[in-house]
Amino acid sequence: MGKLWVIFVALISILLPFLCNSFSPETPTDRRVLVLLDDFAIKSSHSLYFNSLKSRGFELDFKLADDPNIALQRYGQYLYDALILFCPSVERFGGSVDLAGILSFVDSGHDLIIAADANASDLIREVATECGVDFDEDPSAMVIDHTSYAVSETEGDHTLIAGDGFIKSDVILGSKKINAPVLFKGIGHSLNPANNLVLKVLSASPAAYSANPKSKLSTPPSLTGSAISLVSVVQARNNARILITGSISMFSNRFFRSGVQKAGSPTKHEKSGNEQFSTEISKWVFHERGHLKAVNVKHHKVGETEEPALYRINDDLEYSVEIYEWSGTSWEPYVADDVQVQFYMMSPYVLKTLSNNKKGLYSTSFKVPDVYGVFQFKVEYQKLGYTSLSLSKQIPVRPYRHNEYERFIPAAYPYYGAAFSMMAGFFIFSFVHLYSK
Amino acid sequence: MAAPETSTAAVPTLMTNNSLRNAFGGVLSFFILLLIGVLAFSIRLFSVIKYESVIHEFDPYFNYRVTQFLTKKGIYDFWNWFDDRTWYPLGRVIGGTVYPGLTLTAGTIWWFLNSLNIPLSVETVCVFTAPIFSAFASWATYLLTKEVKGAGAGLTAAALLAMVPSYISRSVAGSYDNEAVAIFALIFTFYLYIKTLNTGSLFYATLNSIAYFYMVCSWGGYTFIINLIPMHVLLCIVTGRYSSRLYIAYAPLVVLGTLLAALVPVVGFNAVMTSEHFASFLVFIVIHVVAFVYYIKGILSPKMFKVAVTLVVSVGLCKLICGPLYSDISACITSGIALSQAFDVFTRSIKYQLPGVSSTNELDAGETSSATAEAQNDAVKTEKTEETSKDRPSRKSKKKEKEQVEKPSTKAKAEKKRLLALPLEASVIALLLLIMLGAFYVVHCVWAAAEAYSAPSIVLTSHSHDGLHVFDDFREAYGWLRHNTDVDDKVASWWDYGYQTTAMANRTVIVDNNTWNNTHIATVGTAMSSPEKAAWEIFHSLDVKYVLVVFGGLVGYPSDDINKFLWMVRIGGGVFPHIKEPDYLRDGQYRIDSQATSTMLNCLMYKLSYYRFVETDGKGFDRVRRTEIGKKYFKLTHFEEVFTTHHWMVRIYKLKLPKNRIRGKTKKSKSKTSSKRSGITKKNPWH
Amino acid sequence: MGKSSSSKDAQALFHSLRSAYAATPVNLKIIDLYVGFAVFTALIQVVYMAIVGSFPFNSFLSGVLSCVGTAVLAVCLRIQVNKENKEFKDIAPERAFADFVLCNLVLHLVIMNFLG
Repeated sequence: MGKLWVIFVALISILLPFLCNSFSPETPTDRRVLVLLDDFAIKSSHSLYFNSLKSRGFELDFKLADDPNIALQRYGQYLYDALILFCPSVERFGGSVDLAGILSFVDSGHDLIIAADANASDLIREVATECGVDFDEDPSAMVIDHTSYAVSETEGDHTLIAGDGFIKSDVILGSKKINAPVLFKGIGHSLNPANNLVLKVLSASPAAYSANPKSKLSTPPSLTGSAISLVSVVQARNNARILITGSISMFSNRFFRSGVQKAGSPTKHEKSGNEQFSTEISKWVFHERGHLKAVNVKHHKVGETEEPALYRINDDLEYSVEIYEWSGTSWEPYVADDVQVQFYMMSPYVLKTLSNNKKGLYSTSFKVPDVYGVFQFKVEYQKLGYTSLSLSKQIPVRPYRHNEYERFIPAAYPYYGAAFSMMAGFFIFSFVHLYSK
Repeated sequence: MAAPETSTAAVPTLMTNNSLRNAFGGVLSFFILLLIGVLAFSIRLFSVIKYESVIHEFDPYFNYRVTQFLTKKGIYDFWNWFDDRTWYPLGRVIGGTVYPGLTLTAGTIWWFLNSLNIPLSVETVCVFTAPIFSAFASWATYLLTKEVKGAGAGLTAAALLAMVPSYISRSVAGSYDNEAVAIFALIFTFYLYIKTLNTGSLFYATLNSIAYFYMVCSWGGYTFIINLIPMHVLLCIVTGRYSSRLYIAYAPLVVLGTLLAALVPVVGFNAVMTSEHFASFLVFIVIHVVAFVYYIKGILSPKMFKVAVTLVVSVGLCKLICGPLYSDISACITSGIALSQAFDVFTRSIKYQLPGVSSTNELDAGETSSATAEAQNDAVKTEKTEETSKDRPSRKSKKKEKEQVEKPSTKAKAEKKRLLALPLEASVIALLLLIMLGAFYVVHCVWAAAEAYSAPSIVLTSHSHDGLHVFDDFREAYGWLRHNTDVDDKVASWWDYGYQTTAMANRTVIVDNNTWNNTHIATVGTAMSSPEKAAWEIFHSLDVKYVLVVFGGLVGYPSDDINKFLWMVRIGGGVFPHIKEPDYLRDGQYRIDSQATSTMLNCLMYKLSYYRFVETDGKGFDRVRRTEIGKKYFKLTHFEEVFTTHHWMVRIYKLKLPKNRIRGKTKKSKSKTSSKRSGITKKNPWH
Repeated sequence: MGKSSSSKDAQALFHSLRSAYAATPVNLKIIDLYVGFAVFTALIQVVYMAIVGSFPFNSFLSGVLSCVGTAVLAVCLRIQVNKENKEFKDIAPERAFADFVLCNLVLHLVIMNFLG
């Protein structure tokens, strides 16, 4: 009995760490995802997408959006690592979830996917606005494109769009090119050009516009052309990622399986690019790709190993940092040639590109400038699709001490000679003066 | 030689009687001096008694911090100290920009006491340095006055100086500033100069230079010495009192003094390059010329001397007319000669009119100079006429001699007669009046020391109907900062509070009282005058985390930041032209009430001072400006309040982090009734 | 006026100066030689500075001022030792020399410190 008890406790203590495999900085990929749906029919109509997520190891928790038991956090701890809102028509969330709760969920570093459609509620529009994108204010508007619509027998109002205005980024969309266009049917949104946190992943063609397909246009539509974004991502300052799209049916099984032919193009693709697109972009949103971490910032004088408390002007120093990229399962060395370090005091005095050794160690060496003050080693790395790295380490730089100057200056030898000759002269003179009569 | 001013009626016959009286006088003056020292020390202690042993004002806090560093790290680190906790991010090289005398003095005293195992803290030593040195200063005054006049005058001068209110104002206990030791060094240097002049000994000249070095180390006011002494020398030359003792007193001082002044890093090459020192070099050249002229006069016969003078003057005049290149040197030479000649004659008459000039020393000087006066009169006369009548001038000079010898003796007789001739009642009344004058003086000095000059300005008091009220808000705020923020956090405030923040709160500041960088101050001023977002941008670029403002509106403290705001606008506007002063003025006045301009009501200083002020009395009545404030209900978007002291005198705000997400452009809909957003449905009084 | 009379006067002046100076005692002449040596060294340094520039300005200052200071102190000693100078008859020449040595020590200490 006693032995059993000991074995039990030992098992628990060994297994306990593995039971806590939630989101952590060591494994940035999310694990537990809360999926809020309008009704459970979406669970089956979008099953391909959800299964692809499950196959990558995510635990999906399906709940109705107005379920009174849903909660994002309990006793200050978040219960989930990511949130998928496939509930475009929800007026009010149930349980303890609300707009402020969702926003603080994002602000604490968790990811979010929002899908709207033509009957998007004000609440979903509000969530999207807080994240940085503005859906078309007209509640009945949809994206219509008379040149890039998907050819189909059933739908004739050109609201089914074959979108191929992809962003050029291997990190966000994967290295494999998406050949087939993506089927999209829903509302469009616009981005504030001054907002540098949002990116258009799939933008509409220049001929698209956002209007009510059922009524005649009386005034020119406000949203037109490439300003319309069909799918956008937001990477917040704390590197939380948000995916916003106006078409929930983009993730549906029907769109995954159907073929697509873009109007005006002869090629008919057997399978639309929706599945590949959704899978790849979900990988990016859930931090399986494009997530960097920078560790082990080190700096020291050339020839020494320990970090000094301050430098002196005209010192030679070396700076190194290790950057790793999360591959979905492990940390791999990040290889790039555009990581730069600044030696900064109100403006960069030194700007150098770090050279890497292909194993994730970036280093460089430079000479401290001839100016004293309080400097910072600043690494500001913002590459499209990658998490932003913002490292800053403060270090003072002092001027020369009184005994760090040249000891004897050759140009001053005559003065040294004169001073010493004066001393010698005084010595001789005092003898002469004392001993002469 | 302490000669007591007793009547000379009874001429002592025994030597011992006289020396006994002298010895008694010496002991008495010693004890009087001791008491004067105690008086000087104690009259400055009122602030310690009324408040506590604390350092006052702003600048002493910097000196105190530097002294702390010196006692902790030693002199070499102090000499090379680069301070990275002030003027962020520029830093300040303390070793090269501070006058080290005060710090080294207090550090030495602390070290000495600690080596004797008297463990006084650095703060105590700093607080009491000024009273101790005021005692020294009064003793130095005694020495100086004794050298000039006599021991009795010396004692009176020492007593007067010990109590004089203007000196008290700068050396009260707790006022740990440069003047505390510099006044003593000043008086002592002058004393040594006079002593050298009187004795003509190179030993005192050396001491004089060393004392001058101590003065240069202590205070920027050392230029007073290096300009006053040359003026005195010049005056002596011009009035014909040149003697070789003057040369010995002055020339080594210039050479050694300049060298020693250049040794102090703050002064450095300014000792030879700035205009403050040019007077000393000019007079150095003049005194050499004059000395040379007197030497030549001494070795030549008078006739040849006259020839030399006429030659030099004519050559000089020629060159003056012909070439401006040589005019400076020749002008110097000719002016030196002409001055000494002309005024010599002129002031001979003045000389023997002055009382007390004709001491035994002067008689000798009179003899030698009368011999030269002979030659001078000769030269003058021969310049005017072609006669060389030596009989008349010699008779004249002999007459002058006789007159001089006669004068002191008749004077003494007259004095004797006068002493006995004054009526008793008149002298008693005069003495009583003198005593009353002295008493009033003492009362006034004590009142000034107790009431006017003993406020530490870091602790304020007020007397109300329910007793004494103490306002210790400043230290409360600095203590909060010290305990509730990270060591590397930067605090931005107006420059007045920089020294106190670094010393008491131990946090890095952006600008402080040294005010050496106007652009940096203007940046902070601009930030205080800008609206919240722009101010946040400026502070964020300087890595500031906390902003500190001083607000006196609740208690009526008049030196708060709103009253200083006009300087922030002016200094900021001087460097950044988008800050325009008229934007903040209504009818030419800075107002904060409902008539204030919108720029004023939206600027950061207004918002940080009056945030939630309306909660105190419901109306927001500012007791300093005596009006209700203009904008009462508002929220801060980029700052958050973290601390306000008990009487709202110091308010500390933290910069909010940059927003995680950037919001889209669509306006928030307010008509939702079913949403759970709090506060939207109720009428929000907060704007 | 007349240039001839002035030149005759100048010659006479020159002769009288020379004879007066020859009458000074030997020890004073030694001091004068010492002063001349110091001033000459100072002039050399100034010429050197004019050619090369004033880069280590502190060295230049300390070199020149050591020469000037030596000259000044020697002149002070000469004044005090000169028997014709009646002001100083109560200062013994030994005392004067001791003061002179002390002052020179301080001067050279400061010079060494400032020389760099």
